[in-house]
Amino acid sequence: MKRLSVIIYIAVIPSLVMVIPSCSVQPCYEETDPVLHTVLLVSGTGEAAKADSLRVYTYRETDTLRFINLKGVSSFSVPLDPASDESEFLITLNGITDTALIRYSRKPHLVSPECGYTIISELTGLKTTHNIIDTLIIENKFVNLDGQKNLHLFY
Amino acid sequence: MARRTCIFFISLFLLAETVAVSQDTVTVPLHVRAGFDISGPVMKLVTKDLISYGVAASADINSSIAATAGVRYSSYRSSDVLYDFMSRGFSFTAGADYNFIKANVSHGRYSAGIGLRYGLSFYREEAPMLRYTNEWGAGETSVPAESHTGHFMEITPGVRAELFRGVTIGWNLYMRLLLSAGAGKDLKPVWMPGYGPGTSGMTTGAEYYVSISIPYRKIKVYIKPKVRETEEEETEVTNTGSGTGTGLSGFTNRL
Repeated sequence: MKRLSVIIYIAVIPSLVMVIPSCSVQPCYEETDPVLHTVLLVSGTGEAAKADSLRVYTYRETDTLRFINLKGVSSFSVPLDPASDESEFLITLNGITDTALIRYSRKPHLVSPECGYTIISELTGLKTTHNIIDTLIIENKFVNLDGQKNLHLFY
Repeated sequence: MARRTCIFFISLFLLAETVAVSQDTVTVPLHVRAGFDISGPVMKLVTKDLISYGVAASADINSSIAATAGVRYSSYRSSDVLYDFMSRGFSFTAGADYNFIKANVSHGRYSAGIGLRYGLSFYREEAPMLRYTNEWGAGETSVPAESHTGHFMEITPGVRAELFRGVTIGWNLYMRLLLSAGAGKDLKPVWMPGYGPGTSGMTTGAEYYVSISIPYRKIKVYIKPKVRETEEEETEVTNTGSGTGTGLSGFTNRL
C-alpha cells in the first residue's frame, strides 16, 4: 500500500505540470479582421471581369482612407467601419467613380482567448450610384472570418 | 502410476475447494465520502485570474462502483490590452467511478480507477471592455453581462487512498469534452466555470481531493479464485506426490 501512496504523490507533479502551462500567455496566430469580399463580374454575361485599374477609398471629416489602389484586379476586400452601422466607399473602376453605401448590423465575436474579440457584421442593405457599376448585389450577408465572397459587382 | 496421478488430481480439487471456501469472500465496508478540492486554492496562488472551489461527494454502490456528484464555484477575471473578461458561476457534475482494484486488495480503502461524469455549468459572462483595430481606426465596445448554461462530459482517471482512518486523499486527472457552451458561436466564454476555456472542445487538468470517509455498510464480496495458481499448485503437488509416494500426504501437508 506504500506503493499507492508513492503513486499519489508522484502523480501530483505531472498534474501540476499539466495545469500550469494552461496559465501561460499564448500568442495570437489567427486572422482577426473580417473583410467584405467583392467579386468583379461582366454585366450581362456574369463572367469574371478584370478591371484595368481599381481604387477604393472613403472620405472622412479629417482625412481620406485609401483601401485599394491596384491594376488588373478581379476582386477586392475592404474592412467595414466597426464603429458604425454603415460604411461609404468610393469605387473608381477604370477611371470612373461610383459611390457605394453598405449598411449592416454589428456584433462582437470571440476569435480566441489569445486574439481577443473582433466585430463581425451582417449586411442589411446597400445603395450605389451607376456611373460604371451596373449592379451590386449581396451574395452572402455574413461578413466574418470565413473568407467567403459577400458582394457581386457587375459593370 | 496413472492411478496415483488420479488420486493427486482428486486431492487437488478438494484442496482448491477448501481454499475457495476459506478465501473466496471478503467483507468490504462501503463508504460515503465528502471532500474538498485543494487544487483550487493552490491554483489561486499560481494565477490570480481564477478562483475555483470544488466539493465532491461519493457513495459506494458496491466494491467497484461509486456514485459521485460535485459542485464547483468558479470566478474568472482577465484583463489585458485587447479585452477585459469576467465570468462566474456554479457547475454541477454527476456520474460514477469505477475502481479497478479488487475488493480483497482495496478493502474499501484504496481506489485506482476511472470516472465518467456529466456536467452542467450555470454561469454569467461579460466583457466590459474590448478593443478593436482595423484600417478605419481603433475603438472600444463591450459585451453586456448575460447568463448561459453549458454542458460537458468529464472522464477522470485517478487514485485515492485512506491517509488515516476516516480521511482519504486522492487525485484525478480530468478530460472534459464540451457539449455546448450555451452562448452561441460568437460569444463562447473565454472561461466557462467548471469547464475551462469555452473556445476549446476539450480541456485537461487535475484535481486533488481531501475527503472525509464514513463507512455505512459492510458487504461480502465473492473473489473468484485464481485458476492459474491452482494449476501451478497442481503441478507442484503432482511433483511432490511422485516423489513422496502418496497424494494424501501432500494434501495433509498443505493443510
